[in-house]
Amino acid sequence: MHVGNLLPAVGAFSHDQKRASVMIELKNVTKRYELLTAVDDVSFTVKQGECFALLGPNGAGKTTIVKMLLDFTRPSSGSLSVSGIPSTRAECRHSIGYLAENHRIPPSLTGWHYLLRCAELLDMKRSDAADHCRRIVELIGMQGREHTTVATYSKGMVQRFGLGAALLGDPKLLILDEPTSGLDPIGIREIRLLLETLKGQGMTVFLNSHLLSEVEKICDTAAIVNRGRLLVKDTISAIVTDGETLEDLFVRLVKG
Amino acid sequence: MDTSKKMVPLLRIAKFTFIDEVRQRSFVALFVACVMGVLLIRGCYHGNYQVNGQTVDVETIVRTVSKATFHMIAFGVMVIAALLSMRIFRRDRAEGTLSSVLSKPIERWQYVMGKIIGVWGLSALFMIILHSLVFLLTAISLKIFMPEVLVGSLLCSINLLFVVIALLLFSLLMPDIVAFLCITAVGISGFIADGIAAASKSQFVQAMVQQSAGQPQAEVTWWKIVYVLWPKLLGVQQVASSLMEGEVSHGLAAVYPLVNVLLYCLILGALLFKRFATEDIT
Repeated sequence: MHVGNLLPAVGAFSHDQKRASVMIELKNVTKRYELLTAVDDVSFTVKQGECFALLGPNGAGKTTIVKMLLDFTRPSSGSLSVSGIPSTRAECRHSIGYLAENHRIPPSLTGWHYLLRCAELLDMKRSDAADHCRRIVELIGMQGREHTTVATYSKGMVQRFGLGAALLGDPKLLILDEPTSGLDPIGIREIRLLLETLKGQGMTVFLNSHLLSEVEKICDTAAIVNRGRLLVKDTISAIVTDGETLEDLFVRLVKG
Repeated sequence: MDTSKKMVPLLRIAKFTFIDEVRQRSFVALFVACVMGVLLIRGCYHGNYQVNGQTVDVETIVRTVSKATFHMIAFGVMVIAALLSMRIFRRDRAEGTLSSVLSKPIERWQYVMGKIIGVWGLSALFMIILHSLVFLLTAISLKIFMPEVLVGSLLCSINLLFVVIALLLFSLLMPDIVAFLCITAVGISGFIADGIAAASKSQFVQAMVQQSAGQPQAEVTWWKIVYVLWPKLLGVQQVASSLMEGEVSHGLAAVYPLVNVLLYCLILGALLFKRFATEDIT
């Protein structure tokens, strides 16, 4: 995967501007499913240009928060916004690129057609869409495989095309739900390098991951949730004290 | 301008739905089988038919066979439309299309509308092609032109709209196969009820009823109300096929089935949009 200058231009704002404004805001968000409270009065913000990790054990409410950001499900109370636009409005998703955990693509399509479809849904003209998709295919390192059907792809390849689709349309915010799921160590490293490049270009990254060592390398800030509650949210350097790793902190907070 | 902008993603979703369905091997096989079936019917146009010892003229044979074929196609494509619609949401969930599309700046109503237009357009085209074959067969081999078949086909597409919307709604509320059986039951019971109602109007049955009951019963009963309000799928087909015999009935009898099915489309469509708006996307 070559990340050099192939990336689409992301965010034409200055470093100071991107630091100053809020990209994601959650205000007292609660989500209840009959007997279960999946998210319990969670509030936090993610600034523009920040690489943020949402951490927590399985069933902690991480994916529910992501689903609420994308309006896949509505909060029982509280509000969420992206770039100041309520998450319930479709236009807020203009600035979002999303990669789902265990991303799936219709097996009858080729990777190329999948990217073209996603580009068309973003209202790109067909000629522009083709150019953009070509760049994305290079970016995700899938040249030569884009015209074979998805049924022949490995899980990692599907994940790469999913990431490529998320990068279409130059989003300002990239929401990645377990992006390294199904990838081998080399694939994981390539994704990390790509995220570092995107971060360098000013893109806000919202990362949902279990790979704490990778999170520690890439992210500026992190939040840990457990049983729907926010335990801590700060810069990684502030929450990880001397002699402790992020993994130690995670285990201490979740088990304690 | 704003409306046309909102139509673009909707039409794209419709186009993708249409293409995805056409790509399915089962769909292609079904289409080929239906075309072959219609072509085989052409044998019925030739031959000598006698009713009460009198030979029936060619035009009557052609019109009668074409009318029967017209009804068979219209009914068969309704079943096909139901089969196509029942798996739409489930397949989109399983293949990740639902989350992929709705993570883009596309509203839920646009997605649902795109799906409806895609499946409806495909099944209506399927039916029109089969009906066109009937038209071409009679026009080419028998020199009898019946453009009414095509007009009737367009009218019958209202039934397909009903089936698509109802199946999409029901598939959100219950397992796909149960949804399919429910809509099939609605259709078949409507057909049976219409058949009974048509038979009860015959002089023979009326005479029998008068003999056994003494006098005709005219009071309004609950089942009569249910019958009148039941989806008039056969009614629409009858209105459409009546065009072929030039026996177009005027007034409420001709318009009511169309209004009935269109109203059902509106009501079920509103329920579908409302239900899908609160659906959790996985």
